[in-house]
Amino acid sequence: MSTPAAATAETEGVAARARALTKAYGTGETAVLALDSVDVDIARGRFTAVMGPSGSGKSTLMHCLAGLDSVSAGQVWLGGTEITGLKERELTRLRRDRIGFMFQAFNLLPTLTAAENITLPMDIAGRKPDREWLEQVIDTLGLRDRLGHRPAQLSGGQQQRVACARALASRPELIFADEPTGNLDSRAGAEVLTFLREAVDRLGQTVVMVTHDPVAAGRADLVLFLADGRIVDEMPRPTAEAVLDRLRLFSGGPGTDAATAEDGAPDYDPLRKG
Amino acid sequence: MLKATLRSFLAHKGRLLLSALAVILSVAFVAGSLIFSDTVARTFDRLFASTSADVTVNPTKGLDERVSSGVTRTVPASLTARIAGVDGVAATHVDVAVENITVVDRSNDSVGPTTGAPTIATNWYVTERSPVKLASGHAPHGPGEALLDKDTADKKHVRIGDPLTVLAQPGSFKVEVVGIATFTTTNPGAALVFLDTPTAQTRLLGKPDVATAISVDAAAGVSDEELKQRVTAAVGGSYEIKTAAQQAKSAADELGGFLDVIKYVMLGFAGVATLVGIFLIVNTFSMLIAQRTRELGLLRALGADRRQVRRSVLLEALLLGLVGSTLGLGAGIGLAAGLMALMGTFGMKLSTAEMVIGWGTPVAAYAVGVGVTFVAAYLPARRAARVSPMAALADAEVSGIGRPLKVRAVVGTVLTVAGAAALTGCATSTKTATSSSLLGLGVVLTLIATVVAGPLLVRPVIRVLGAAFPRLYGPVGRMSQRNALRNPRRTGATASALMVGIALVAGLSVASASMTKSFDQQIDKTLGADFVVQNGNFQPFPQEITDKVRAVKGTETVVRQRFAPLRLTLPDGRTPQTTASGYDPQLDDVAHITYAAGGSAEALAPGNLAMDRDYARDHRVRLGDTLPVTFSTGGRARLRVAALTDMDTSGGFGVEGGVFMGLATVERYLPGGQDAAVYVNAGGGTSADELRASLEKALDPYPQVQVRNQADYKKLIRDQIAVMLYLVYALLGLAIVIAVLGVVNTLALSVVERTREIGLLRAIGLSRVQLRRMIRLESVVIAVFGALLGLVLGMVWGVGIQQVLALQGLKAFAVPWSTVIAVAVGAAAVGLVAALLPALRASRMNVLAAIAHE
Repeated sequence: MSTPAAATAETEGVAARARALTKAYGTGETAVLALDSVDVDIARGRFTAVMGPSGSGKSTLMHCLAGLDSVSAGQVWLGGTEITGLKERELTRLRRDRIGFMFQAFNLLPTLTAAENITLPMDIAGRKPDREWLEQVIDTLGLRDRLGHRPAQLSGGQQQRVACARALASRPELIFADEPTGNLDSRAGAEVLTFLREAVDRLGQTVVMVTHDPVAAGRADLVLFLADGRIVDEMPRPTAEAVLDRLRLFSGGPGTDAATAEDGAPDYDPLRKG
Repeated sequence: MLKATLRSFLAHKGRLLLSALAVILSVAFVAGSLIFSDTVARTFDRLFASTSADVTVNPTKGLDERVSSGVTRTVPASLTARIAGVDGVAATHVDVAVENITVVDRSNDSVGPTTGAPTIATNWYVTERSPVKLASGHAPHGPGEALLDKDTADKKHVRIGDPLTVLAQPGSFKVEVVGIATFTTTNPGAALVFLDTPTAQTRLLGKPDVATAISVDAAAGVSDEELKQRVTAAVGGSYEIKTAAQQAKSAADELGGFLDVIKYVMLGFAGVATLVGIFLIVNTFSMLIAQRTRELGLLRALGADRRQVRRSVLLEALLLGLVGSTLGLGAGIGLAAGLMALMGTFGMKLSTAEMVIGWGTPVAAYAVGVGVTFVAAYLPARRAARVSPMAALADAEVSGIGRPLKVRAVVGTVLTVAGAAALTGCATSTKTATSSSLLGLGVVLTLIATVVAGPLLVRPVIRVLGAAFPRLYGPVGRMSQRNALRNPRRTGATASALMVGIALVAGLSVASASMTKSFDQQIDKTLGADFVVQNGNFQPFPQEITDKVRAVKGTETVVRQRFAPLRLTLPDGRTPQTTASGYDPQLDDVAHITYAAGGSAEALAPGNLAMDRDYARDHRVRLGDTLPVTFSTGGRARLRVAALTDMDTSGGFGVEGGVFMGLATVERYLPGGQDAAVYVNAGGGTSADELRASLEKALDPYPQVQVRNQADYKKLIRDQIAVMLYLVYALLGLAIVIAVLGVVNTLALSVVERTREIGLLRAIGLSRVQLRRMIRLESVVIAVFGALLGLVLGMVWGVGIQQVLALQGLKAFAVPWSTVIAVAVGAAAVGLVAALLPALRASRMNVLAAIAHE
């Protein structure tokens, strides 16, 4: 590792870190601050949920941490690597080799089978998957008898499980899940959350999940609350009820001028985007 | 609804751009060819109308000579005296004009046009109808003086005072350029040399008292028609007498043949552009509709009925057609101007200021443009009308992917069987007419069959074609192969555009390769001479050249060949016009002719002829029959069929029947002809190389003929077939340009449709380079698929064409493998080119925007 010893020591136990992370859209008077000097540490081996009202910057935070989006100011590290300032090519490689992704919808390539979708990042990299690990992931997610199917032949829940398996398959340092249960009914959603939980507990993975759903957030180890581009609160060992209460507090509480009444019932708003 | 249609048209203008280009191209070719031929026709109508005398007395019109005999037909110059006495005649002029002469400069280079246009020597006299006027120097007087037209003089750097040699039929003679004449009208591209009248008569026609025509000017108040009747009454009916209008028309008609070729070539391009363009338009509209399924469903849910939806799509097509036609018309004007400029470099000076745009041009342009777009959009429009209101609510990705191809399978199979039957019929038929019409039918049926069944072939063929991709390019290769397989209809339609062009070229390449091979074989088999002295265009040449050849030391045998255009009267009642050859008696020394009956001695004896055995049998001619024969200048004879040949070349190319006879017989009934070829054998210890050197030296002053051995002769024939091939390649080029537009279109749309997929791939680590490669590979596999279908189809056609040619005696079959391989490789290159923009666009796509896409 070329990382200085001090930095390595400092990042011990931290999968990703942001310092004074700022992201602005537009310039001059019309500029909108999506992230306003955010400091955050994502603990390794933990399940972190990110919540907040629409426009709070939670998706932007995730995109910046994952190297999908550029930052306006501040620094981001993945493990010991500072990713702010990396070139497009290096970022692509970083995503491919060190990060796993799950999205709300459209997670899989329709032309590839489930098995091919799972190993796709490694195939792209030209690496051989770790067979033993792969088998373990497939069994954990219960996909053994679905491997030859195309996405169109799978239910929404099964598709998300395949996406989950893909995210896990290369044993990345960090898995980002963007509203992974957003398109699923509550049963399938619960199932996917169980798998993410297991990925952390049994397989030792690190997961960051952006969600609207207090129930989903309730399964995490830590919930970060964002509003107006800042982290306004965090809740260790959350439950769905506690999260919901916290959100209610938000909508009436001080310093949340942008929050509206709809924050109280986030999962019923179909127009809400990640 | 109208507003929605207009909005939709404007919203999709980017997508429609490529379709519009196809419309523009086909309309441009149609309009360009019409404008060009109208302009040329108008120009020459005017030229001939203004230069024709009120009444012209011509020699009687014999047969049209498709192959020139070299005879110059004349009328007695003494007619002028008789005509001058006719009431109403103001003036008469003796006209001497000889077309097939050669004029060389000091270094024995021809000053004539290199384009195949003639050099015309004519007598100088000035009337108000003269197409030229003296620009500098003075008019020619006496045997040693001549004028040259200014365009030729400028091009060949000839000045007043320079010597020229005129190689005319009676013998060559030297002249000095004493003046330069400029055209007052359009120069049709010929070189003109003017002599005084007595010189022209004696030196060009060989006799002082003849003319090629007599021009008659009417006195004031006498109409051309009236004067014609009076002149006819005075000189009798043994001349062809024409009014100015008639004369202008026949002159224009003569030139028309050449111009028609240009017109048909251009219309051929228009046809290819239209044919390939239809595929592009069908495909674009299908894709637009597939993309807008939800939008159309919403319209239906809101109460629009099927007819309104269909009309809305057709209206969009109409708009596209109108816009495309208008732009195409403009492009056509440009194309016509370009063609005129091109003709200018060939010496034919056409003024773009006098461009003629007849009413027919815009009508044809809009009919083609709007018609094609409308027809092409009709099926997609029907499909659009079938979109159910439910489509607005369903989350279906793209309609049309999963629809079964059963109908296509059935229709495709039926058409394939019918087409195959027609082609088999073509191959087994023994009659050229039946065979070629069956070929045409088979070609059309198999083409439609392949287009219809194309999507069915996508899966099996691309599985094989792309089989190596996953191994070569890993997951990128696998994804591109699967993407190409994803929507067989779209892949099939995209590939069809390329297929049509390539099939056309492959078929014609096979045909021309077979023709070349057949001619090669025939030349090997029949040509026994060491050398052939002749003109590259098979034009006859003066006797002087033959005499020079005879005088060359080391020539042992010299056999002359002359062409005799004639009409046969056959026992089955047919009276075909054909061209016979006349040979000297030592024919066997320079040619290997296989006889079924008789031999060269009988065939070449006076009053006899030989013909092909099969032709004789087909027309119930028996050995020993006597046939009435009319020669082109009117000579009549009864010739005995004394020999039957058993050669492959029985007919075609204006020489049906394979008729030949003794040169003496030709000379007797068609006097004044010129030799078209001289076959020479070395002898007396002279080697072929030595003879060639001395022949070339002796013939140096005669640039119109060349010395060719067997290999050179084959090359000459090959080059002539190659001209046809260049045209084919130009057609291919056009077809490919349009097909590339089609592939770009499809790929661009696929990229848009797969935005989220591409975003996902980029998010999980696919690099830009890999993404571009994925799209390129998909493009290549589609293009190669199209090329493969085209090549197979084209070769099947080629076999059919070859079967028809075989009936004409061209029995060899050859496949131009180098062309086939070049086409396949070229198709891959086409795929790469087509993928450039879509791949760039995909790789520039913002990952976040792509994954955030609803």
